[in-house]
Parts: sequence; structure tokens; C-alpha cells
Amino acid sequence: MRRRGMVLLAIAAVTASTVLSGCGGGSEDPAGKTTLTFWQQKFEDYQQAWFKKYVDQYNASQDKVKVELQVVPADTWAQKLKAAQAAGKAPDIATTSYGNVAPGVAQGQFAALDELLPAEAFTDVKDNVKGFVTVGGKHYAYPMLVEPSTVLYYRTDLVTAAGLDPNSPPKTWDELVQWATKLTQGKVKGMTIASAGVDLGWSSWGLQYNACGKLPVNDDWSKSTATEPCFEKLLNFYKTLYQGGLIPKTPKVGYADGAPYGQGEVAMMAGGSWVIGQLKNDFKAMVAKTAVAPFPSIDGDPTKTTATLGGWTLTVDAKSKGKQQAADFVKYLLAGDPAIMADFFKTSGFSKYTVRASVDQALVGNPDATSDPFMKVISEKVVPFGKQEPAYPWDISLAFGTAIESAMKGKADVPTSLKTAAAAIDDVIKKQSLAGTAPK
Amino acid sequence: MTALDSRVAAPPDPAPDAEPRGGRRAAAARHGRDNRTAYLMIAPMVVLLGIFVFWPLANSVYLSTFKISFYQEPEFVGLDFYQYVLESPRFWESIVVGLYYAVLTVPTGIVIALLLASFIKTLSRRLASYMKVTVYLPAVVSTVVASVLFVFMYQDEGVINWMLSLLNHGPVNWLNDPSYALPAVAVPGIWLSFGVTTLILLAGLLDIPENYYESAQLDGAGFFQRLFKITIPLLKNVLLYLLVTGFTLAIQLFELPLIMTNGGPVDATTTPNLYIFNSFRDLTPYATSFSLTASLMLFVVLGAISLVIFKLVNSDKAIDG
Repeated sequence: MRRRGMVLLAIAAVTASTVLSGCGGGSEDPAGKTTLTFWQQKFEDYQQAWFKKYVDQYNASQDKVKVELQVVPADTWAQKLKAAQAAGKAPDIATTSYGNVAPGVAQGQFAALDELLPAEAFTDVKDNVKGFVTVGGKHYAYPMLVEPSTVLYYRTDLVTAAGLDPNSPPKTWDELVQWATKLTQGKVKGMTIASAGVDLGWSSWGLQYNACGKLPVNDDWSKSTATEPCFEKLLNFYKTLYQGGLIPKTPKVGYADGAPYGQGEVAMMAGGSWVIGQLKNDFKAMVAKTAVAPFPSIDGDPTKTTATLGGWTLTVDAKSKGKQQAADFVKYLLAGDPAIMADFFKTSGFSKYTVRASVDQALVGNPDATSDPFMKVISEKVVPFGKQEPAYPWDISLAFGTAIESAMKGKADVPTSLKTAAAAIDDVIKKQSLAGTAPK
Repeated sequence: MTALDSRVAAPPDPAPDAEPRGGRRAAAARHGRDNRTAYLMIAPMVVLLGIFVFWPLANSVYLSTFKISFYQEPEFVGLDFYQYVLESPRFWESIVVGLYYAVLTVPTGIVIALLLASFIKTLSRRLASYMKVTVYLPAVVSTVVASVLFVFMYQDEGVINWMLSLLNHGPVNWLNDPSYALPAVAVPGIWLSFGVTTLILLAGLLDIPENYYESAQLDGAGFFQRLFKITIPLLKNVLLYLLVTGFTLAIQLFELPLIMTNGGPVDATTTPNLYIFNSFRDLTPYATSFSLTASLMLFVVLGAISLVIFKLVNSDKAIDG
């Protein structure tokens, strides 16, 4: 009987803890102070410091709301968020990438911000970015920054030593391959670019646009277009770089990390604009020896897209019990005093780009911002031609990324790899009933 | 009186020389009490299993008939997701990867362990305990630590490629070539598990009476005859246990490919659990239900594999009893 009693006790404890744990998200304590949870995906170290600084300032500036900042590593983000959603404990405020805004809205995951923020908060946002956070005429996220996914970095000293002209970087894919071949010497590889399926899934979006003028799905998401010949050229380009030994075959880090370039293991790098921040913070000696150029285009046309404009927003959870308070915090951090965001871009070493006209004005007087050579190239030659990240499910991007990887690593030839990808994409379209659901 | 008691207490056809009714009744009552005690004793375990195994399992099967969303009403879809999983080539490819990994690691691990256990058996007591500690050490190393260690060893400039370079072989792209990646992941897999296997086999070997070997030797049996006629038949149950647990554990491998290759290159190391995990990480309602159904299907596949092994290797009572 004693054991049965213990079992009953255990059941009671489990039930009680389940009931108690159900209470979360925008809770209010007896004193009337609302506690909001804010999940921030882990980015470069300086970003964590920036978020913490302003969350602390916000908490100190008033006594109605307490924002609890939690930094969540990128590789555990998805499963942690899903588990929290399942338990009814999703964070009130979260960092959300542009690519995840529309799919989240389709599930009813985010609160519309139009009723929660003053209208002028959105009039300040640049027109090309507004579309990134708008679904069906409503704003579901407040944008923070944009950053092109692909630009070309190269070592001016090594380029000169190889007899190439650092002032006229490669314009076409063929020229890039020639440069990479000449720059591959000893242990230093010519360049680095993504080579794992998951990284290729997103980092190649810009080059998919470059090769074909579109992504491997038709406009209304009813059919895959991956078998079109232009995509074969893209796969062959990656294959040449990999099989020619022009990029490291066993990369130690993923595409987003510029460490191999910073450590001098490669002479050129395809990387996001965020790597500038990494170089300025972690590899200072490399900055003076580095030049930045738009990533070469398939045929040398500099107006063709080579990068998608990725970036981050803050969203408010649709089930939050403190939506208005959460939106007030988003307004304070991203849509309020332009000096706060100006401080962010300054801390980032101007490796990310503003989304608000008023923040641009706040930076006009900052000589670092206006004279930064990297920023000038990227904002004038890359950003204007950048496209929005696709809003379709990740499985489609992964299928195409896997096709590129398969061709690079010789698992299958280029046409077969693309056929496999097309079949996988059509399967996703069918099973997830995507036809006709593309956001307008 | 319970139904059970009444059934026992009323025999349909009492024999003429049956003991008096009162004696029977007493025996039946004792029997009923015994039953009650037995049920009471297993009750806590049944309750716990019910709460933590059967109920979640039944609920999972129920939930797998819905497209689960955490923000909208779940949509009933019947058995659609079972069809999606069964039709998914990546699911079956991941099962093949799991089986290939099991074939690479389980028999190799058992052979190495059997050799080591036979060797340890011949050693003096002191040396044997030293060896036992040594072979068991990898088992206490964290899988994560081992993965990171082996990733370094497999680098272009790592120790394995350095040794190859001494033999005038170019660096092999161990973790980024679809044909080498899984065998490369299997090596730390074997290293981590053979300690436990060795100890279990050693216990089995020490259980075989020494006089069997002595009489076989007197009859002129050689090493291989002794191995195949005495050692292996008498270790059959131990080997069956190792095979079944080894296969089911190997197919469920997760951490090694997650850390060493993240399932790549081109899904060459995407084991079933890693595939299910990666499916779950996708933020669509489709992915939630798909990964749940795939887990249930994996449960069925693992059960089927264990059944096949049981069928292939008949479990007998040991000859020695």
C-alpha cells in the first residue's frame, strides 16, 4: 500500500508540475508588473552585448514591464521554439528571419503589429523592406536590418603576388574560377564557398537568381523548375570549384563563419556582409589586406542579382498575453529613438544595413559610416540588386542545396542531381498542398 | 468473492475421491490472495508504464492522424501521414543508412570484443583487471567528446591523413565524401561500444566450464574446433543479446553523425533518428506530424528487425543449464 501511495504522490506531483508549467508567456505578478520573455537567436558576440545593454535600459526606464532576455543558439533554436510552442510557453518576443515571416503568418504564429504600433513606425521603414514583413496588407514583424547573403572578399596582397589586379576583381564565374586557380598555392586554397547541403540550401539563393532569374519553383508554387538548363550551369560552377580543389574539401566551419578567411587559409571568400563585422572584431590585421566586390555574375552583368537580402526582425507571438507590452518594447528597441539602432550599426562595423530612413539620417554625421569602403561597395553595388529570401518551406531549399552538394561531391551527375531535386520539390508541393499558396 | 475466486471454487466435474469441499475452498481462497498480492506488486510498474509508455504511445498514434498546429485547430487527416512517410525516399534511405551502419559496427565490434575477451581470459588476475579497465575506458568517454576528437583526426592535416601520407597516399576526404563518410563515423562508433561488449562476452566465456575444453583437447580438438564446437554454441544466448541490442542501438545512432557530419555529405550519414530530428526542426505543421509519424514507423521497423534476428538465431537454453 505504501508503494501505491508513493505512486499516487508521484502522479499528483507530475500533474501539478504540468499544470503549473502551463502558466507562462506574458505573465503578470501581483504588483501588476508584466514579465515578457524575449528569445534572441545567438549572433556575433557584439550583438548579444548590444541586445543586453538595451533590454537592461528598457527594464530600468519603467516599472510596468520586465523583459527577460534569453539567448538561444541557432542550432537549437527550431526544436526549442517548437517544444515551447507545444507547451504553450512560446516567447512573447522573438528574433525571426525575413524568410520565416510569411510561413509563420500562414500558421497564425505572429500578432499583426498594425494595431499595436503607431502608423508612423512603418512609414519610417524603407519601401523595399516593407514587403519583407507584410502579408495580406498587414505588418507581422518589425524589421531590424538587412544583410546581403553573398559578396566576394579577396586578399589584395595575395592577388597582387599572383600577378592579378586587385582593382579589377572577377566579373564573371569563369574569371572567378581563373582567379581561384591562380590563387590556390600550397596550403592556401583559392577561395571558400558553401559545400554542405544545408548551407547551400540558403546561401545559393542569390546565385540561383543569378543563373536563372528565378528560384527552382514557378511563381504560384505549383511545380518545380529545377530541371531547366540554367540551373545546370549553376551546379557545374560549384562542381568546378569543388572538384578542381579550389576550395577546402573538409571545411571546419559553415558558410556563415568567415574564420577560414580571417585565419589566412583561403585567398577569397564568398560570404555574407556580416563577415565584415567578424573581420573588424576578430581579425583586425586582415581588414587592411581585404577588398570587397559584388559576387561575380554568370555572364558579367553586374545588375543581375547575386545575393538575397537576409536579415532579422522582431515578432510578437500571437498567443502572448502581453501583446501590447511586447509591441511597446519592439517600438522602443527598433522603431523608437534612431540613436539606438545607429549604435547597433556602428557596433556591427557597418556590416549590416539600415531599414529606416531616420536611422540613415542619424548616421549621416558619422564619418565612419560614410567613409567605410566596404559599406560603400555593398550598399551601392550589391544591395540595390538584392532580392527577398523565398517564403516557401525550407524543404524546397534543402532539396536544391542537396542537389548542388550531390553534383559537387560526385554522388550523381548534374542532370540526375537536378532531376532528384525536382522530384523532391514536387513531392513537397503535393504533400504540403503548396500550389497557389505563394504570398502575393 | 471475485469472479476469479468463484471460477476456481466451482469445478464442473468433481472427482469422487475429491478432498472435502472446505479444503478446496481454502486452497482457492489462498490462490486468490496470491493473485491479488501478485497484481498489487506489479501494479506500480504497470501504472508507471501506462503513464510513461502506453499512454504517450496511444496518444502519439492518435495525434499522428492530425496535421498538428500549435496556433490553429489541428486538421484531421486520417492515415495520410503514414502514406507520406512510407512514400518518402529519404525515410527509407535513412533506414538503409542505419542498417549499413549497424552492419559495419555490430559484427566488427563483436569479433573484436570476442578476441579481446579470449585474450583477457588467458591473463593473470592482476593483468586481466588492468586490461578490463583499459578496454572499458572508451565507454565512459562522452559521445560528443569522441565525435569532436575524431573530427580533428579526420581533417586534411589530421593524424589519420598524416599516417597515410607516410605511405605516400594523398589526404582522403574522410567526412566529406559520400562513400567514406559512414565508415568514418563507424570507427568511433565501434571504439565507443566495444568495451561493454568485451566485458559481457568475458562474463559469458568465464561461465563455460573449463573441463569442456580440457576433454576436447584430450580428444585432439584444435583451436578452431574448440571455438566453433564449444565457445560459440555456448555463447549463443549472449551473442543473441548482443546482436539484438547492438542492431537496435546502432540503427538509432544519433549524436555521432549529428556532430561529425550533420547527416551529410548528401545524406550519406543521415540515420533514421537524425532524419526524424531534422524533419522536426522544420517549423511547418506538416513537419511536426511527419516527424511524429516517422518515429512511430521507426518503432515498427526496429521491432521487425529484432524479430528477424530472433528468428535467425534461435534462442536455446544453454546446454549446461
